[in-house]
Amino acid sequence: MKEVAEFSLKKAQELGCKYVEVRAEKRTSNSLTLKNGNPELAGFETTSGIGIRYIINNNLGFISLNNFDRDKVFSLIKKSVNMTKKSSRISKNIYLSGEKSQKADYNVSQKEKIQDFTEDKRLNILREVDKEIIGLSQRYLTLGDEIAEKYYINSEGSVISSVIPRISFLYFVTIGENGKTMQRYLPYGAASGYEIIKKWNLARKIHDEIGILKNNLINGVKPPQEKLDLVIGTEVTGIAVHESVGHPFEADRILGREAAQAGESFVNVDMMNTQIGSKIVNVVEDPTIENSFGFYLYDDEGVKARKKYLIRKGMINEFLHDRQTAFELKTKSNGCSRASNYDVEPMLRMSNTYVESGDSSEEEIIKETKKGIYMKSYMQWNIDDKRFHQRYTGSEAYLIEKGELTKPVFAPVMELTTPTLWSSIDMIGKKVEMYAGSCGKGEPMQGIPVYFGGPVMRLKNIKIQ
Amino acid sequence: MEKIINYLKSELLKRGMDDVIVNFYETEGRQLKFVNNKVVKTGSELISNIYIFSSRSKRVISTSLKDISQAKAEELVKKIISMSKNVPPNNDYYGIAKGPFKYNSKFDYDKDIMEIDESDLLEKGINKALENSKRVAGNLEVWHLKSHLVTSGDVEVKDGSSNLYFSIRAFNENDESGHMTCCSNTLKKFDIEKTAERAAEIATLAKKPVEARAGRFPVVFSQMAFAPLLNNVSEASSIYNVESGFSFLNELNMKYGDFTLEDDATLPTGFNSVSFDDEGVPTKKTTIIDKGILKTYLHNTSTAKKYKVETTANAGLISPKPFNVVFDCRKGDIFDVKEGIYITNVWYTRFQNYSSGDFSTIPRDGAFLIKNGEIVQSLKGMRISDNMLDILKNIQCCNKKLWQIKSWEAEIPTFTPEVLVNNVSITKPTH
Repeated sequence: MKEVAEFSLKKAQELGCKYVEVRAEKRTSNSLTLKNGNPELAGFETTSGIGIRYIINNNLGFISLNNFDRDKVFSLIKKSVNMTKKSSRISKNIYLSGEKSQKADYNVSQKEKIQDFTEDKRLNILREVDKEIIGLSQRYLTLGDEIAEKYYINSEGSVISSVIPRISFLYFVTIGENGKTMQRYLPYGAASGYEIIKKWNLARKIHDEIGILKNNLINGVKPPQEKLDLVIGTEVTGIAVHESVGHPFEADRILGREAAQAGESFVNVDMMNTQIGSKIVNVVEDPTIENSFGFYLYDDEGVKARKKYLIRKGMINEFLHDRQTAFELKTKSNGCSRASNYDVEPMLRMSNTYVESGDSSEEEIIKETKKGIYMKSYMQWNIDDKRFHQRYTGSEAYLIEKGELTKPVFAPVMELTTPTLWSSIDMIGKKVEMYAGSCGKGEPMQGIPVYFGGPVMRLKNIKIQ
Repeated sequence: MEKIINYLKSELLKRGMDDVIVNFYETEGRQLKFVNNKVVKTGSELISNIYIFSSRSKRVISTSLKDISQAKAEELVKKIISMSKNVPPNNDYYGIAKGPFKYNSKFDYDKDIMEIDESDLLEKGINKALENSKRVAGNLEVWHLKSHLVTSGDVEVKDGSSNLYFSIRAFNENDESGHMTCCSNTLKKFDIEKTAERAAEIATLAKKPVEARAGRFPVVFSQMAFAPLLNNVSEASSIYNVESGFSFLNELNMKYGDFTLEDDATLPTGFNSVSFDDEGVPTKKTTIIDKGILKTYLHNTSTAKKYKVETTANAGLISPKPFNVVFDCRKGDIFDVKEGIYITNVWYTRFQNYSSGDFSTIPRDGAFLIKNGEIVQSLKGMRISDNMLDILKNIQCCNKKLWQIKSWEAEIPTFTPEVLVNNVSITKPTH
């Protein structure tokens, strides 16, 4: 594939493309699904192909193909360049920020290698979990792995090779008691070999969680209809920071590039350095976290990834950038461009987004809350396409009375605006926990692995529905 | 290519597999993405894949060959055979369809679809929308698909399809926007200007929106707004989703309202129309819900055998799937409400509980207050927080403006008119 990548770059340049980048990718994956205890399907797949992005006459074109016949490759490049030239009369001039060219070769090491992991081992992992929840009539478990090999080159001299293995697990169950039901859906993921499974401790965690949710379903009371303090668990912090900070801070949304599909942002370029949250709030976006689901060291434009503070002391500090948005906003890319596979264009994406730890323990936060609700996890969420108006429905939740957790609360709903959410925070926990997800954006839709998380946080004076 | 396809089938059978399906696809596609009235990216793709489904003694394996060569095909056969000895049996697997079959469906098809000048086409759409809006964004896509299916059930069939898709969102001032899409199998029936005009018309109507209030209201759903809800209903009718807990359609022959919902892969203008499903069974029209009564779930051969019914020709080899959804109900004056809301698009539909049907979704783009049958005010800042079974039960009537919708939120092409639903719960942020 390297040879095809180099051939493609050369041919695109010969056709007059001022800038060219080529990603040659090979992804090898395995998956197994256990539905209601029955092994439904074993799947394995290898995809390989190249994605070529170029600029000709200041217009941008993207090509993808998985046929490596040189004549076909050259023919498609020619067709694409002609199409881009033809549409230039209605096209916008595209420029990329100037960035240092990079040469790198990196990989994520595995202790229990995906390549050596057999079907029966995958099945055992799922069966161990299934054993713990066998009393539930609807149980859907999947386990998957992937090794993504990537070779990136561009016409500015960057050459970057990477190998990233990823493990993912998902469980979805329906809990039924006394004619009522409740569902739980939670994905796990990491850039790792299969050694991560032990750390996840899935069977024990899921067993305990189902017990807690059953209790909530049977004994959960309605949330009080008054303003009170809302403590949110690490899982809720995670989804909130991803949806209402990460997304609206994507500079391509701010500039309107995703207006028709994923939407725009309530944040605008003039809001840099304005206060959006309380002063104890710091939000970080960092692709370089070892073993994280959103891990990478160089993005799909060849820019070196780095940690950045989106919010510092409650103020907007930095947006997420790729080379296009960086040029438009007269700054440098901070390495956020990613494509989900060779066949789609690189776009501005989040990786691992979290709220930084504070100085209170979970126990202290609860103890200092006279009347409130602790929404530890969630079962539904959504947010408008400007990322302003959001809703989270609690899954595991409790009433807090005089500093103690008293009764379970069934399905409390917080529905509030982004500035209210981040300005209401008055206590932040010490321990950060991260959760895996697949973030969707673009048309065609690209699902990309991400982490989101943070500590337990307290929001003052919130009306729960 | 045919040599490799036939090799895969015959070699897998020779080496002990019971059922084999080999499905070759080649897609040639182009895309123009536009933002702030200008094209920001052209896209071109040429992708071919061979999907292979096989089983031995109920051990089911699914894979694909994307680097297509004889050597890679031989490697793949070895891996499937080796894996088939190790994977556990799927006791819910009952085999694939036995042919041969006759295929009679006739669809709209432009063999020369890739010859069109998409820049000219897009320019017309953008210019039309800009007559009534300040800026537009969206996508124009065109592609041509060739497929060739062979199975151990004595099926060998080839097909081809042509597709055009256009999505345009028009904007005026802050919070004044409208969105519309169109899709077609032929250029002749692809009305890009009408679509652009509609998006701009909504954006214009959405002038100076005020905050909506929470409560229960009659809601008129436009085609763009109703199609995502119908997508969820049709997906809930797949027997796989019923078994897994991803469905609120929990009981056959139960009354869910007063409307009809069909899946029809034989519609000449259906965007996903196809002669055969993923195991080669000739497709047909299936009435899922007839005058409110749930008549059938969607099945493939294996799931149909498990439940002792006939396949509905909706394979998906593991999970049966709808192709084109068609909705109908009593015709009436949808705006005949004293006070209600007209919603032209929804976004981010999520279920709290698929099994009970509790969900919420966010109206986006133009939304309007209706008083005494007239649109009197543009609205913003609301959410539908309701139950899908209640929404279905409260369907009142529809108009005759049938539109085929495919969108980000409605991936399954859906033919729907505008629909009036009573007593819809609208919520707002408490802060």
